[in-house]
Amino acid sequence: MYNEIYDITLKVKRYDPEAKRTWVQDYNLKAGRILRFTDLFRRINNELDPSLAWNSSCEHAQCGTCAVQINGKPLLACELLVENAVAQFGTSVFKVEPITIAPVVRDLIVDLEQAYDRVHKAKPYIIDGAKKSQAQAESQILPRDLERYVEATRCINCFCCATACISSHKGFLGPNAVMASIVRLMDPREQAREERLDLLYSEEGIYRCHTSKACSFVCPKEIDVAHFIALAKEGKFKT
Amino acid sequence: MTQKLKISSTLRCDVLIIGAGGAGLRCASAVLEKKPGTHIVAVTKVASPQKSHTQTAQGGMAAVDPRDPIDKPIYHMFDTWKGSDCIADQNIIKKIVEAGWEQAVWMENRGMHFTRMEDGKLSKRTFGGHTVNFGESSAFRCVFEADRTGKGIMDNVWGESIKGGTTFINQAVVTELLIKGDRCVGAVIFKQKEGEFVSIVAKATVFATGGNGQVFKVTTNCRQNTGDGNAIILKAGLPVMDPEAIQFHPTGIVGPGILASETLRSVGGILRNKELEPFMEHYAPKMKELAPRDLVARAIETEIREGRGILNPDHNIEHVWIDLRHLPDYVHDVEIPEVSGFFKKFINLDPKKDLCPVRPSNHYQMGGIPTNENGEVQKNPREMVPGLFAVGECAAASFHGFNRLGTNSLLELITMGKFAGEKIIDTLGEDVPDAPEDAGERSFSLFSRFMEAGAKDNLGKIREEMRNLMTEKVGVFRTEQGMNDAIEGLRELRERADKTVLASQSLIMNQDLIQRWELNNLLDNAMVITKGALNRKESRGGHFRDDFPDRDDTFHYHTLVHKTEFGDVHLEKRPVDMSLYEAKGEHYEKFGIIERKY
Repeated sequence: MYNEIYDITLKVKRYDPEAKRTWVQDYNLKAGRILRFTDLFRRINNELDPSLAWNSSCEHAQCGTCAVQINGKPLLACELLVENAVAQFGTSVFKVEPITIAPVVRDLIVDLEQAYDRVHKAKPYIIDGAKKSQAQAESQILPRDLERYVEATRCINCFCCATACISSHKGFLGPNAVMASIVRLMDPREQAREERLDLLYSEEGIYRCHTSKACSFVCPKEIDVAHFIALAKEGKFKT
Repeated sequence: MTQKLKISSTLRCDVLIIGAGGAGLRCASAVLEKKPGTHIVAVTKVASPQKSHTQTAQGGMAAVDPRDPIDKPIYHMFDTWKGSDCIADQNIIKKIVEAGWEQAVWMENRGMHFTRMEDGKLSKRTFGGHTVNFGESSAFRCVFEADRTGKGIMDNVWGESIKGGTTFINQAVVTELLIKGDRCVGAVIFKQKEGEFVSIVAKATVFATGGNGQVFKVTTNCRQNTGDGNAIILKAGLPVMDPEAIQFHPTGIVGPGILASETLRSVGGILRNKELEPFMEHYAPKMKELAPRDLVARAIETEIREGRGILNPDHNIEHVWIDLRHLPDYVHDVEIPEVSGFFKKFINLDPKKDLCPVRPSNHYQMGGIPTNENGEVQKNPREMVPGLFAVGECAAASFHGFNRLGTNSLLELITMGKFAGEKIIDTLGEDVPDAPEDAGERSFSLFSRFMEAGAKDNLGKIREEMRNLMTEKVGVFRTEQGMNDAIEGLRELRERADKTVLASQSLIMNQDLIQRWELNNLLDNAMVITKGALNRKESRGGHFRDDFPDRDDTFHYHTLVHKTEFGDVHLEKRPVDMSLYEAKGEHYEKFGIIERKY
């Protein structure tokens, strides 16, 4: 089973920022079954075309840098194995495109500044921590409290959900950014609840969400993002 | 076409942090907490600080709770000293270990989600080499956030840095250190998205650029860990310490290089070769799979060398098997679900039914930019470089000596980040001179040379050849002959690299240009690793010489390597701090030159 070789075609959407030119380039590769798409991109660079630009960092599905769209689905290229891709999409021809929530810098590399600005706007930190008594130095969160939102703490801001979201382009902060705020609302340490609620119920907040649940469907970390947004819509956090 | 390269703009700030991972941003947080409003610029090579390598740390952070009835800081100090093979600095060990708990509390009060037990007490894990009562039994010392402690820490210090108003410059690399007189006054960076050089003048400059794992073929490190910090420091005429001290983890998963934690062996996983023979009994008849990391790594490497490895055709990497098929479902589902999950996700194998491919993988650089206990960079054992700091994996204070214990790295980056931050506050009152007149010239001449080269070759291939060479000749096993071969090989690769034409002349997000620059850094790192290892005619911690298999205390010093031209290095010594031993306090005898036997 180890010697299976697939004939793969990657149809990569490319962009040259200087010529402002967009085109689709085909790369044909013979690839073993457990090569990942990041391995394929590296092979293209080393064997076919060093000019193809793509992004990655950890390649362990823990940083989200390598998010791309494969046949229209946003996912992490580092955890997509050749044989799984063939099985999942039922083809060996793959359209590879950058994620859509950010301007393309070159080829598959996007400029995440504005996308991350939306996360920063949601304040991904405890704005105002609970006062601690002297005796109790640490801020204890009991496992049963954490259980309610621990799933959301796994978010790595890969923006796959934002790419799949049907409301992303309409002034919505985006599923991951609102979840960054919701997770702190559910955190017993956070005192700045009003400020968080103001943002969630603002013009760019959760009412932009059309509940398509595409976010939950594509999340590489298998977070039910829509569930957390639904809690906020239900008014669960209003005091 | 040669473009006229120039500095597009000059920025002034109080603190410039290069590398926005756990150590860099803990440093930023420390400054901002004591001095709100301080203008901090944090430069990172990745798309956002959240994409840093710290994010991938799984296991946890060692920290002794002062209220713990069993564990004590002195035990942790002893374990770190012994683990280091008696070559960490004892003043550093003491300072870091004593600060650990306070840092865990600091993080939890700012959003960290350490795993707790039902009664609310912090959960703690044991880890290799961490013991109570000087080796008597395993210590429950390591606090953790599920299987993503590094991510928790990263989110924490990233959040605090945003909160404090840090300016982030993402996807940028540092190409040149700015030194005026004796003082560091900032650095020149190259912004990849814009294709622009920017000169940044700062009262304090902090290197937190991470490790050099990409020097080796199979590594647990991020794609960006190309030893940039070490290389820039060497270019500035400053030394790098103990580059030969590299840690190889015995069982990296073939392909992605993710660690298959030692838990797999402690729950009963068996290492097998091509003939499916359980080979560990030949190397460690008593301990077998549970022998120390370095011994297991050498056993696996020997099997592979002697032709009993298996070649994975997809990744073209030789490996051995770890057999978990005999373990009960309960162990798979409850005790090792994460690692089992990695095998499923990244190589499509079911450890309940399939043999899983593993091999020794590069994991950590114990050496790096030499600093004192405040993270201040040294130009020699006696003098500092004013205005320049280094923290995290790129730096060596040295807490880990020649072998790092698991969970001590997160502890080090958090504590050293904080110590450096506090020291930096002292420098904020100083006036900093302007950048030198020739700021950027060295970067321009380097980049111009990259662009002028015209020979047809492939930089990716050259990099792969270097990684193979270093893995084979300067990896788990080292010999004089092998390393001399490596030095020759590195010179040839460097010559080839110097001639290789770039795929494009563009400055904007030109991946080939950045990888060309990284290749120089990798080759510089590879060269000093090899020279350091060649000089050290003994075996110690992660550095193992086939031709000198024992520790030899005539080498009981830190190596300081200065580089002039490529391949020409000048070696110096830094003494090992033995202050715990010399203080003659309680248990001082444990901190002498002791055997590293487990």
